[in-house]
Amino acid sequence: MTSGPGRVLVAVYGVFALAATARAAVQIATRFGEAPLAYLLSAFAAVVYILLTVALARGERRLALAACVVELSGVLIVGTLSLVDSAAFPHATVWSGYGAGYLFVPLVLPILGLFWLRRRAVVTRTGESD
Amino acid sequence: MIGAYSGWLIGAALLLALISLITAIRNRPMGIVLLAGLALIEVALLVQAGLAVTRLSDLEQETATFVGYLAGTVVIPPAAVWWGKAERTRWGPGVIAVAGFTVAVMTGRLLQLWNGTA
Repeated sequence: MTSGPGRVLVAVYGVFALAATARAAVQIATRFGEAPLAYLLSAFAAVVYILLTVALARGERRLALAACVVELSGVLIVGTLSLVDSAAFPHATVWSGYGAGYLFVPLVLPILGLFWLRRRAVVTRTGESD
Repeated sequence: MIGAYSGWLIGAALLLALISLITAIRNRPMGIVLLAGLALIEVALLVQAGLAVTRLSDLEQETATFVGYLAGTVVIPPAAVWWGKAERTRWGPGVIAVAGFTVAVMTGRLLQLWNGTA
């Protein structure tokens, strides 16, 4: 299992995976018809967070890297769309307004994640250990 | 679920997060202070969950979400203790800081749901 600063990252991703999954499940189960697109996006975001939590915890770099890129694109695309065309996103998702409803953590996390993965890659190449 | 009680709980959780952060910056692993703090928060969270569940019928909306948040808050401190024991570096308290902040935010959401201002 990842140790050191990576643990904090795994903890934050774990919280987001739980929160996003629970939220999407409630939304889809109770009022899917109101905003199918927003709720499907919530579910998609939840899947990405679960993938990232597992990938980071198990040290699967390639999977974590791919998921981080998907997450960053997701938050940038959905964030921009929700500001430009707010009528299309009447119901908030985790990624609306670049994650403003979640203290912008959804925007900062993938950047931190990419930074962390990159740093680890350098450490591995030069043969140093933490 | 009483407003003032949960308010104090949010304050305590934020204080714990702050102490954890200072511990992490000072480069120390989890000590007895953080362990006791987490235990205290856990007891307070269990009391809050008990109070809220006995008065659940007062809640007008989002019962499923509310119960989900209650269950979530109770699980966090034990997870943080487990992690703090496993990671005997400054990053153990780093995780506990995240846990304290999460408990504060989730209790805040619970209050919003309870007051119907979500």
